[in-house]
Amino acid sequence: MTQIVPLNKETYRDLKVDSRASAAFDSRRFVQVIVKEFPLLLVHYPILFSKDPQTGQFFCGAMLGFDEDENLFLEDWQKRDFYRPLYLQRGPFYGNGPELAIDLDDPRVGADSGKPLFTDQGTPTRYLQSIIWAFQDLTSGTQMTKIFIARMLELKLIEPVDVEVEFDDGSMRRCVGLYTIDQDVLSRLPDSVVVELFRRGYMRLIHYMIASLKQVPIMARKKNSRLLKGTEGLASAVG
Amino acid sequence: MKAGGFSITLVESPDIKIIGVGEGTWPTMRQSLERMGVSETDLFKHCDAAFKQGGKFAGWTTGAADDAYYHPLMLPNGFAQVNLVPHWLRRTNNQSFCDFVTPQGRICDDGLAPKLITSPEYKPVANYAYHLDAGKFAPFLAQHCTQKLGVRHVLADITEVNLAESGDIRSVLTKQAGEIPGELFIDCSGFSALLIGKALGVGFKGCGDILFCDTALASQVPYETPNDPMPSQTIATAQDAGWIWDICLPTRRGVGYVYSSRHTSEDAARQTLQKYIGSELPARKIPIRSGHREIFWKNNCVAVGLAGGFLEPLESSAIVLVELSAKLLAEQMPANRHVMDIVAKRFNEVTTYRWGRIIDFLKLHYVLTRRTDSPFWRDNVDPVTVPDRLKELLELWKFHPPWFFDEFDRLEEVFPAASYQYVLYGMGFESESSPEDIIDTGLQASRARQETERQTAELLSRLPTNRDLLNKIREFGLQPV
Repeated sequence: MTQIVPLNKETYRDLKVDSRASAAFDSRRFVQVIVKEFPLLLVHYPILFSKDPQTGQFFCGAMLGFDEDENLFLEDWQKRDFYRPLYLQRGPFYGNGPELAIDLDDPRVGADSGKPLFTDQGTPTRYLQSIIWAFQDLTSGTQMTKIFIARMLELKLIEPVDVEVEFDDGSMRRCVGLYTIDQDVLSRLPDSVVVELFRRGYMRLIHYMIASLKQVPIMARKKNSRLLKGTEGLASAVG
Repeated sequence: MKAGGFSITLVESPDIKIIGVGEGTWPTMRQSLERMGVSETDLFKHCDAAFKQGGKFAGWTTGAADDAYYHPLMLPNGFAQVNLVPHWLRRTNNQSFCDFVTPQGRICDDGLAPKLITSPEYKPVANYAYHLDAGKFAPFLAQHCTQKLGVRHVLADITEVNLAESGDIRSVLTKQAGEIPGELFIDCSGFSALLIGKALGVGFKGCGDILFCDTALASQVPYETPNDPMPSQTIATAQDAGWIWDICLPTRRGVGYVYSSRHTSEDAARQTLQKYIGSELPARKIPIRSGHREIFWKNNCVAVGLAGGFLEPLESSAIVLVELSAKLLAEQMPANRHVMDIVAKRFNEVTTYRWGRIIDFLKLHYVLTRRTDSPFWRDNVDPVTVPDRLKELLELWKFHPPWFFDEFDRLEEVFPAASYQYVLYGMGFESESSPEDIIDTGLQASRARQETERQTAELLSRLPTNRDLLNKIREFGLQPV
């Protein structure tokens, strides 16, 4: 169940929230992202388009694994300073217009080991401040990402891509429903459109997406060594 | 006129209404619209379009309460590798031919859509065509053609057709827009056939002796609630002097009785329709003059649509001929007047062939009946009303079930052999088969059968209902990729 309430410092002054990545909440192979995150994502994750199964609308996402509920980066998030996408960083928080809301029934809320939200003076802690900023980014960023996608569609720059990987244990994974930039169409764009895309900052995003595909074989190697070790990773064991 | 460098002017009477029957299309409509650059999402939003996954024919064979079969739009699985008919004939259960070879009948039974909200525009999961509001479709296409494809649209009534000495049409004279000259004239003037018939004197070849239905009563039926289930098959229910179509659009149903006026009176027909609908609704009477022009292209005039011919709206055959004719014309647009007669000759051959096959195929639905309860059905099996070619094929099919390679000698056959299979074996046609017929193809057949079972299980669990998907498309649209 969920019990989402507006967050205020009077009622929830002593509330703590567990902000760490966990198998229970971060085990997913694809997570929605916004264009602002692309430079941070590109160094670890393939950035692709996919469709919302409920609406069919495109969104941008980072690929985290090959199997359902598989996150090959969970350990990295827990042990190293690896960039974790905002949609997961947000934890049990929700946007409520310009205000924040929190799901009191979320198991991460109220944990003793969690981080406090407010200082003794009643001001937001660094953690809460990071969540506030994350929501500011998500609110504007989701809209900016939609506009970016709409332009890509108009220019017919989105094409389906089959991510197919064969592992050393003989198994295969075929991830469907993923889309990327059509480089043939890109190379044939008229000059005026190229300039437009460049000025809007889209050309950069396009190249981030193309370059990020190189992360697929790196992820595959990671998965491969897990398969061979027979320790199929923390994530899928728990998922 | 030079290839690729011509301009098109559409002269349309501001007063003559469109006929407004034929609210079902063929799957070819998807390619036709995509080629024209129409957005499928726009089609759904502006034409009250819905999915059509085939036809369900109720009461055509025996007239009993449980008498029904599907003519789905998907080909049988493995159709190019193996003829499943002999395997079906020797089946050990009582599965219908449709369910034996394709999941589509089951998808229709469950009221499911042929695709997902994540499927791109025009891309099927299960093959589909459209049900649509013809009254909205015509202006929708007109707008697309004038705004995107550069067609000039003149609203005017043609009063006179001017011929040159050669017999070619030089120009048409209009009441509102003066004289409009042209090098090639496409007669889309409907039943009146102003150019091909009246001006050029091409005769009409009726086929009322084969297909008896000559009148339609068309009605529109509201839903009880906006979210009533919507079948995605055209339901054609046999009556004592014809059949009733039942088509679900998102906003209403289109229901109409197509009947033979030689076999029933208008009053009785209206009562039959009312009884089917369950309430008294106004029904518009539409004459159907079954048949087609003796030729379709004469001199510099081509007839497309009703000017070329019309048949009862069974199997959406009139609308597909419009598409096929338009495509043929676009692909073979003569480079100059000099070669036009050669192109015309070929066009006439192909189009005459197609009309013949459509008439045969429609007659097939009647000739296989076992109903004897009314003169209409008894007269329909009278051998003098059956075209010779069809008679021969029926004789052949008793021993050689139709398939991929045989009988169908034209590249663009209107109805594929699969359609004949669905109707023949849906109506219980008896072909002889012996155990030897299926030995060599046992492996391919069992693969195809497994594939059908796998698809059936998967699609029944994955596909949304027809109504839900249409609601979503109207809200969110389909993506172009």
